[in-house]
Amino acid sequence: MFKEFVKHLFPRVVQKRNLSFSYTLCLGGLAFTCLLLLAATGLLLLFYYQPAPASAYQSILFLEGSVWGGRYLRSLHRLTSHFFLVLILLHTLRVVLTGAYQKPRELNWLIGCALLFLAVFEGYTGYLLPMDQLALWATQTGMELLRTVPLGGEIRAILVPDGVGENMSLLRFYVLHILLVPGSILCFSFLHFYRIRKNKGVLPYL
Amino acid sequence: MAKPGQTRRSFLGAVISLAAGAFLIGKFLTPKTRQKKALLTVPKGDLPPDGALVYREARVALLRQGEEVYALNLVCTHLGCTVNVTPAGLVCPCHGSSFDREGKVLKGPADRPLERYRVRTEGDFYQVLV
Repeated sequence: MFKEFVKHLFPRVVQKRNLSFSYTLCLGGLAFTCLLLLAATGLLLLFYYQPAPASAYQSILFLEGSVWGGRYLRSLHRLTSHFFLVLILLHTLRVVLTGAYQKPRELNWLIGCALLFLAVFEGYTGYLLPMDQLALWATQTGMELLRTVPLGGEIRAILVPDGVGENMSLLRFYVLHILLVPGSILCFSFLHFYRIRKNKGVLPYL
Repeated sequence: MAKPGQTRRSFLGAVISLAAGAFLIGKFLTPKTRQKKALLTVPKGDLPPDGALVYREARVALLRQGEEVYALNLVCTHLGCTVNVTPAGLVCPCHGSSFDREGKVLKGPADRPLERYRVRTEGDFYQVLV
């Protein structure tokens, strides 16, 4: 099964008309490029970030002030994350407008929706990490909003066992942001690409 | 003869970009460790026993108590005004915080003691290190 999966990830033959730029605008591909860039810059940021409430903000200041290229890398990570979300939303819009969610591609539409949700959640968990005022209150707002939805209280209790921006919650957001959520996004992306191959490319839809 | 999959040009390109990448990442991973630099150099004779020298421009006071010599950062820990040095202690003109000679808070609104700088003895001079 695994061999077949890899074969479909890297196809031997691609139909020329499937590469038509004007149809997909390459939005999904650009979003995936953003994801790779986010992984690369995030990996380097890990060398300096300290996931503890007292030292998180200090470590960011140190990174921006005393590390060669630190400010650039952090800005790149932040900017790319914005682009990532915008591109995913545009990609979703393209899929809706071209009717690409229809049979036989319903499964890939669902995988795509999961990816959209995971990307937003990844952005949300990353927002708390700098531990400045904006980060703290934005996360606080999100957590209060979560209370209003069904099961929100339970999810909140898991995400924030001790209050937004305290030891345990910051550590949980950190682990989610650097390991669990990106890992799931990567797995779902590969499944997404595999399904494109299984559906014999992206054209024609309608 | 079989054509090798790798040309000399692509090999050289790969070596050069790997070396450049390693150099840049190495530079990123070695942060500047802050060199302490001398803010002030004061002759030892200028500082009387149990006295103080105030440098308002540099916002530093050099104090001596018995044998101990230390420097206080005159930036108030409340909102950053320059505190006045009086014989009784240090008083902030903005909101009335007062500190004793060691920089500890006597009266608010400041809630942290004044920052201390390291003083190094260099021959016949005191050096305040920042």
